[in-house]
Amino acid sequence: MLVFRTYFKILTKYKGIVILYTVILLCFAVFNMQTSDNSTNFTASRPDVYVENKDEEGALAGLLCDYIKEHAEVKGPEDLKDTEGVSDALFYRQVNYTVEIPENFSEDFLAGERPDIVVRSIGDYQAAYMEMQLERFLQTASLYQKAGMEEKQLIKQIKETLKETVEVELKSSVDKEGLSKGAFFYNFANYSLLAGCVYAIAVALSSFRRDCIRRRANVSPINNLRYNLQLLLANGVFAFALWAFYVLISFVMVKDVMFTKQGLLFIANSFVFALCALSVGFLIGNLTTNKEALGGIINVVALGSSFLCGAFVPVQWLPDAVLKIAHILPSYWYIQNNERIAKLETVEPAAIKPLLVNGAVVLGFAALFVAVTNVLAKRGRQRRV
Amino acid sequence: MFFHHFKYTLKYLFRNRLLIFWTYAFPIILGALFYLAFSDIEKNEKMDLIDIAIVEEVSDEQGSGLPEGAVSTEQENGSLEEVSADQGSGPPEGAIPTNRELLLETMEKLSDEDSEDRLFRTVYVSEKEAEKLLEKGKISGYLLAGGETPKVVVKESGINETIFRQAVGETMQNAKLVAALTEAEIERQKKEAAEVPVDVETVSEKILREIQEEQASIRDTTGSNLSYTMIEYYTLIAMACLYCATIGMYAVNCILANMSKKGMRISVSPVKKGRLVLGSLCASYVVQLLGLALLFIFTIFVLKVDYGPHMPRVILLALAGSFAGLSMGIAAGALIQANETAKTGMIIAVTMLGCFLSGMMGITMKYVIDKNMPVLNKVNPAAMITDGLYALYYYNTFHRYWFNVGSLLVFSAVMIGISFFALRRQRYQSL
Repeated sequence: MLVFRTYFKILTKYKGIVILYTVILLCFAVFNMQTSDNSTNFTASRPDVYVENKDEEGALAGLLCDYIKEHAEVKGPEDLKDTEGVSDALFYRQVNYTVEIPENFSEDFLAGERPDIVVRSIGDYQAAYMEMQLERFLQTASLYQKAGMEEKQLIKQIKETLKETVEVELKSSVDKEGLSKGAFFYNFANYSLLAGCVYAIAVALSSFRRDCIRRRANVSPINNLRYNLQLLLANGVFAFALWAFYVLISFVMVKDVMFTKQGLLFIANSFVFALCALSVGFLIGNLTTNKEALGGIINVVALGSSFLCGAFVPVQWLPDAVLKIAHILPSYWYIQNNERIAKLETVEPAAIKPLLVNGAVVLGFAALFVAVTNVLAKRGRQRRV
Repeated sequence: MFFHHFKYTLKYLFRNRLLIFWTYAFPIILGALFYLAFSDIEKNEKMDLIDIAIVEEVSDEQGSGLPEGAVSTEQENGSLEEVSADQGSGPPEGAIPTNRELLLETMEKLSDEDSEDRLFRTVYVSEKEAEKLLEKGKISGYLLAGGETPKVVVKESGINETIFRQAVGETMQNAKLVAALTEAEIERQKKEAAEVPVDVETVSEKILREIQEEQASIRDTTGSNLSYTMIEYYTLIAMACLYCATIGMYAVNCILANMSKKGMRISVSPVKKGRLVLGSLCASYVVQLLGLALLFIFTIFVLKVDYGPHMPRVILLALAGSFAGLSMGIAAGALIQANETAKTGMIIAVTMLGCFLSGMMGITMKYVIDKNMPVLNKVNPAAMITDGLYALYYYNTFHRYWFNVGSLLVFSAVMIGISFFALRRQRYQSL
């Protein structure tokens, strides 16, 4: 097993890069997978809202703050210290909406004035929802005030009115949010798997393909078939180990999902893709022996297919034209499968069929890459002899 | 001699195809990918219409027993009569039936194509069909408006569903509002002229109109520059600037005696080292600026990225950033004892890590680091460049921008200082 051992000796020299891709995957997972309760009751979305109440004494302003708190995750001045902090938070979408209640708001309002509530919004759904709530509150308060109600009665009436809501029935029992997090993790693993696997395999292979090493191997007593088998085994072991490690991470990150049937499908799907990544590694490793050029090619391949197929940006947000182009990449079919799995209500044969088709396409790509690699390798051998 | 060395370093750098790929082509390829991936992302963030269905018929579960059509008028009249009959004590809790007509009318208004406040794209279907549509994911949810109390059915707890619930809930709140306000109005009218009989219907109609016309006093002060995909292009520029480090490293390597045969020859030549280093530096900077210019031309004219009204300042920051990259490369060339491949690998890894921390793979990262570990981004040149450009784009003041330019210059000075001490008076016992 000399070749096998040598392969891993070479790999350890390049472990830094593989670790880097894994760390990036981990960072991503940690930042995007904060725990959520998977209840089967309807839970309203809660926008992140920054509230600055300059009318701390006022009862109406207090009521407004309580009302917002009831429907949103409220951040106050103590969370975001300076004004730049608030602006930054708004830009980076950490806060959907900011509300500033002016001084003497309650007093002026009860006197019949309508002091402006100053808001800033990022204009997304969450912000629109918050604006709806705020408008509703102000309208209600204004109508009751115009009807001549005193402060106490006004507050009681507002509370009573805004309590009113509609009954909501949640039809699905599947933990959709958990599943979509699972899909998110495995979609991102597309990048790490592709970049890590392809880089390591291509670099190790290209070392074996250097002329002097190849010639030495040719004159050695080890026969060609064994030599190639050992290389194949080593590549397979590495790809399998990397894949298994990523699956392990997924069990830590989204464990609720991984112990379901859908979780099993995620694992199977990523395994098929790992095989494809292995074949891409083979192909690229056979293109050139220049390790620096390899770095460039791999970055373009891994980043390109991750961006175009929806590993970084959710698929539904990609322009249609981009998705059309993406059909020619194996990552597209892999990610499509993840998205489908995330939407599966029940795991039954009819639902799995399209998954199998997509999986077959990924395997087809793998076969194609292996075939192309063989042609290239043969030509290379003939040219050099 | 300076120009001689300058000229040959230029030639040497331009002939290195790999270097040209990383510094010229890679940022452009990445920019194109960003463009393809992000061009629609902000459009999706913006509030779009929500698909819903309304089931007008009485559902089996809800069955109120009243014939359709008769429900609304009876309920409406019922509620108002109740109020007028019960003027003194106010409406009993929960006794006010929901006004079905009001609900349907409001939902229709919210689905009106010509309305500015349109929220929903609505279809009117049977309950079975609505269920099917929900199952297929064609609608976010449906409203069962037939029964005594309306009900909303959804498949998941998302923001669309929440907005839907809020809209329906508001119409129910309106019913309560009408009742309470009507009561107050009647009481007032009675006080004014006790003998004149109060017309409940006109009063409640007037109040309903008032509710619909009531405007909330909200002043929106959001600025226009909120496009966060700009950060992606900023990190791209940061990356391009820092890739200058590879150029600088190559240029320094070729004058180091322990790195190449050429380095040995140059080292024994009777030329001052300072002059050689200066020549390499200038040549690298020229190569870098050309690449940067290509990137700017590509992003501005092909990808139509709008850098805003402060273009000269953007360029100044890019110049400072490139200088920081260059100085980092010189330091890497002088300090790291390894071959060119390893040095390139390290520079690229450090650059990528810096860009990652400054938000290249997701802008949240930059915010998280800025908030929790500000020191990290204060010494990260990629973050200095990104933050400087961001400050220029988002804020009306320039102090944060200048702070970042200053930071970049300090960073460069430190790097060059370190390299100076590493490079001077190098002697080799054998080579």
